[in-house]
Amino acid sequence: MSERKNDDFISYELQEFKLFEPLFRWARKKSLWIVAFCTGCGGIEMPPLATARYDFERFGIMPNPAPRMGDLFLITGYVTPKTLKRIIITYEMMQDPKYVLIHGSCPINGGVYWDSYNVVKQFDKYLPVDVAIAGCMPRPEAVMDGIMEIMRKIEDGTADGWKRYRENYEYYRKNQDELFGEGWREKDARRWLAWI
Amino acid sequence: MDMNEKPKVGEKIEDQKPQEVPEVEAPKLPDTKEGKLVAEVLEKAPYAEGNVRRERRVEFKVPADRIKEFLELASEKFEMLIQISVVDWLKEGEFELVYQLWSVSESVHAFVRTRIPRENAKMPTVMDIWPVAETYEREAHEFFGIVFEGNPRLGPFILEPREYEKHPFRKDFNTLGYVKTIYGEDFDRYDESKTNYVI
Ligand code: SF4
Repeated sequence: MSERKNDDFISYELQEFKLFEPLFRWARKKSLWIVAFCTGCGGIEMPPLATARYDFERFGIMPNPAPRMGDLFLITGYVTPKTLKRIIITYEMMQDPKYVLIHGSCPINGGVYWDSYNVVKQFDKYLPVDVAIAGCMPRPEAVMDGIMEIMRKIEDGTADGWKRYRENYEYYRKNQDELFGEGWREKDARRWLAWI
Repeated sequence: MDMNEKPKVGEKIEDQKPQEVPEVEAPKLPDTKEGKLVAEVLEKAPYAEGNVRRERRVEFKVPADRIKEFLELASEKFEMLIQISVVDWLKEGEFELVYQLWSVSESVHAFVRTRIPRENAKMPTVMDIWPVAETYEREAHEFFGIVFEGNPRLGPFILEPREYEKHPFRKDFNTLGYVKTIYGEDFDRYDESKTNYVI
């Protein structure tokens, strides 16, 4: 196989379409589909964001129940180890390119749960983050601003969390295993197999 | 006018005093539906203490060895178990269990309190009276480590196995120490000098 250059946003997968890259970026930016997986308090900011007052659909953003079709993952608040397992599995199910936006101080540094036994303190140790919004909890305007920031980053190619996850997989995997113990994926899968 | 009023006020207070004293010495149950309900229950269960907190809220104190007997009796009047909550009295070395009951027919909320020693805390299950107790007992078991004898499903439920072993709601659970070992210390929140303190 020919040598692949990883430093460019689109060419990672579609080298022959490099000519259309700006077009693809623009299209991606204009049609963000949110994975509808609201964790924590920030989930309550989603209804005003989606309904008449702030109406994010006018930006081409849609909540979407299937992770396989989504590309924007909102982590809307505190993350417990139990939720983090599901978040990681969902994130890995999503297609590349995928973007992560975290809400509020809890995923950044623990927020008001900084000494709680079951809130993950630094979310970016376990998954790459593209944009973080500070505040407890951020208003819908702040979330809109974060989404605008993600759009800008997609356009100039700096929203590269999905790429960082591939490149530094060992680091993320190590942190995940430290928190959950080795073999947590298999163990978890076995637990849910009976329901599938 | 002033001269006349002052002694009158004094007289009134003197009049009230002898009336108040007997009430304090022998607290009687009020003549309301709550009072009658408590009296009815206490008549059958003389080992318990009961009083009325306020409108629609009554309270019982029961010794731990007779709690099951008492709850069985109370369940005739209080049909519903709302919750089993636990208070950890660390200095006294005791757990306080509060069974919260709701009387559907009378609309009265009852607290049934009982205390058990903290070491090897054990209680009989009340699943045979209210099947819903299973969930509450599992939760109390998980967070405080109380064993409910006769409940078949005690074990990890909400918490991760690692947290389950430690019973995180016990007062002697070192939360910050646990957080430091699990989530790592490379993080300015733990900066004791508070130079990089965030919140
Ligand atoms: S930052 Fe505040 S609003 Fe957001 S999850 Fe934490 S406590 Fe809730």
